Amino acid sequence: MKVSRDEVRRIAGLAHLAFDDAGLDRMADELTKILSYIDQLREVDVRGFEEHAAGATPMRDDTPRPSLDRALVERNAPSWAEGHFIVPQVVPPSPAAVPAASPPPKKS
Amino acid sequence: MTDLLNLPWHEAREHASPRELVNASLAASRNDPLNAFLNINDNAPPGHPIAIKDNIVTTDLPTTCASRILANFVSPFDATAVTRLRAAGASIIGKTNLDEFAMGSSTEHSAFGPTRNPWDPSRVAGGSSGGSAAAVAARMVPAALGSETGGSVRQPAAFCGVVGLKPTYGRVSRWGLVAFASGLDQIGIVTKTVRECAELLGTIAGADAMDSTSSPHPVDDYAADLDAGVRGLRFGVVREAVEKLEGEVRANFEEALVVLRGGGAVIEDVSVPTIGYAIAIYYIVANAEASANLARFDGVRYGHRSKESPTLSDLYFHSRGEGFGAEVKRRIMLGTFALSSGYYDAYYGRAQSVRARMRHDFGEAFRSFDYLVTPTTPEPAFPIGAKTSDPLSMYLSDVFTAPANLVGIPALAVPSGFSKEGLPLSLQIMGPHFSERALFRAGGFFERETGWWRRRPTLTY
Repeated sequence: MKVSRDEVRRIAGLAHLAFDDAGLDRMADELTKILSYIDQLREVDVRGFEEHAAGATPMRDDTPRPSLDRALVERNAPSWAEGHFIVPQVVPPSPAAVPAASPPPKKS
Repeated sequence: MTDLLNLPWHEAREHASPRELVNASLAASRNDPLNAFLNINDNAPPGHPIAIKDNIVTTDLPTTCASRILANFVSPFDATAVTRLRAAGASIIGKTNLDEFAMGSSTEHSAFGPTRNPWDPSRVAGGSSGGSAAAVAARMVPAALGSETGGSVRQPAAFCGVVGLKPTYGRVSRWGLVAFASGLDQIGIVTKTVRECAELLGTIAGADAMDSTSSPHPVDDYAADLDAGVRGLRFGVVREAVEKLEGEVRANFEEALVVLRGGGAVIEDVSVPTIGYAIAIYYIVANAEASANLARFDGVRYGHRSKESPTLSDLYFHSRGEGFGAEVKRRIMLGTFALSSGYYDAYYGRAQSVRARMRHDFGEAFRSFDYLVTPTTPEPAFPIGAKTSDPLSMYLSDVFTAPANLVGIPALAVPSGFSKEGLPLSLQIMGPHFSERALFRAGGFFERETGWWRRRPTLTY
C-alpha cells in the first residue's frame, strides 16, 4: 500500500494533527513502509473468522453519584472561569456571522 | 541498606520496619543513574515500597505519560490498582519513565529522555514500562506496576532481568490507567521474584464497578502452588516462534526446556499457525483504538494548550502538534488511516478477523497443553538509538509478546540466564485465560531451579 502526501494530509486533518511539507513526506514514507508489512494479513485464510461482534460490554446501573470536585478539575484546566473551561471564540462575531444579503466577494 | 532491597519482600519485611524499607528505597531511587523515575514521592509513608508507571494515575504525584501534553497533570483520582495497593499497605515511592503514552519498546520515546539498562547503560531498558523494569532490576524498589498493550511489561522485564506479568485481560481494573488501546490494555507487575509477583496480583486483581471490562472471575490464591513443581504438566513449544531463533537466544531457550524437563514436565512442539501475524494485527488494532482514545488530548480541559490558538481549530491542531512526540503522532496517523472511510474493511476489519483466527489457534493449542512457551524476546537489550530510525524493526521487538495481548491470555516472563555480553535473557510462559496461579507455579519452579534473580547489576558507572 503506497500512501501519498495528499492522503497523509487528509488523514492528518481527521486526526487533528498538523505537519509541514517535509513532515507530510516523511509520514507518507513511514506509513507506506509499515502498511506494506501489515499487508501480509491479506494472505491469511479467515473464512469462518470474519470480524466478529465482540460480546456486549456489561453496563453498571446509571445511578446518580458525586462527580469530580470542581476545584480539582480547575487545577488542571489550561483556562478556566466561573466553573467553565474557556476556549477561543467558536462563533465569529457579528455582523460577519449574519448571512449577507449578497454573496461576499470571492478572495482571489 | 540496599541489601534490604535485594531480598524478596517476604524476607525483607522480617529484617526491617516499613519505615526503614521505604527510606532505603527512597535513597536508592533518588540516586537513580538510569532515568528510571520521572517523579519521586518525598512524602512516601511507611509501607511496602512500590513504583508506579507514569501512565497510572495518582492524586499525590503528577501523571505525565512521559508526554509534554500532560507535563503538569495531577489526577483528581487514584487508579483502582493504586487504591487497592494503598489499602494493602503499599507505599508509592515514585512514578516511572515510559515511552510516551506507552507507545514504544525501548523507553526512548519518552519526552523526558530514555531509561538506561542497568546491566549496560549504553543499551535500552526495553519498553514501554522501561522505568519500572530498570527500577526493580537496579533494586531501587522491590516491585513496580507497569502496563501492557503488546508486551510493555514482559519485554522490559526480559531486557532488565526481572519477572514481568501480563495478567488476563480484565483481571486487573483499568480504571485510572490512561487509555492507549482499551481492548488490549492491562496493568501488569514487575518484581525480582515470582512470589512477590503472585502476592501483588492478589492485591490488585478483581472486579471493579469503574471498569466494565474488569472480570467477576474469582481472585485466586496466586502463590498457593509456587512450590508444587511441574511434574506431569504439559508445555507446548510454539514451533512457528522458535524455528527462526538464532544463536544465544535459541541456546538459552533450549536450556530452559531442559530445566522444565528435569522437573518432570512434558515438552512437545505445537503449531500456532497465525502467531507470526501478531505484530501486523497489533499495529492496526492497537493504533486504531489509540487514535480514538488520544482524541481527548485537545488542549481544552487539561494538559498542554498552545499559545497559538486564535481559533478553536488552531487550538486543537497546535496543542496536539506541540504536545505529542513523533511516535505518538505516527501511531495516531496509522490508526486514523485504518479506521478511515475506504480502508476500514481492508485493514481494521481484516486485522480483527486474523485476530479471531489467532484466538482460535491458541484455544486449539491449549486443548493439548497447560502452557505455551517461547523466549520473551527475539534478542537481548539493544543499544540506545539502534532502532529509533526504523519504526518497523522496533515494533518487531514485541513479536513473541503481542500474541498474548491479542488473545487476552496471561503470560509471565522469567529470567532465564545471560548472554555472553552479560545481558539478561528471559523465558515466556503463556497459559489459558485466568491461569495466573498455574503460571506462577511453573515460573516458581523455574526460578527455584535456576536462581537467576539473585544476580544483580553492579551499577558501577
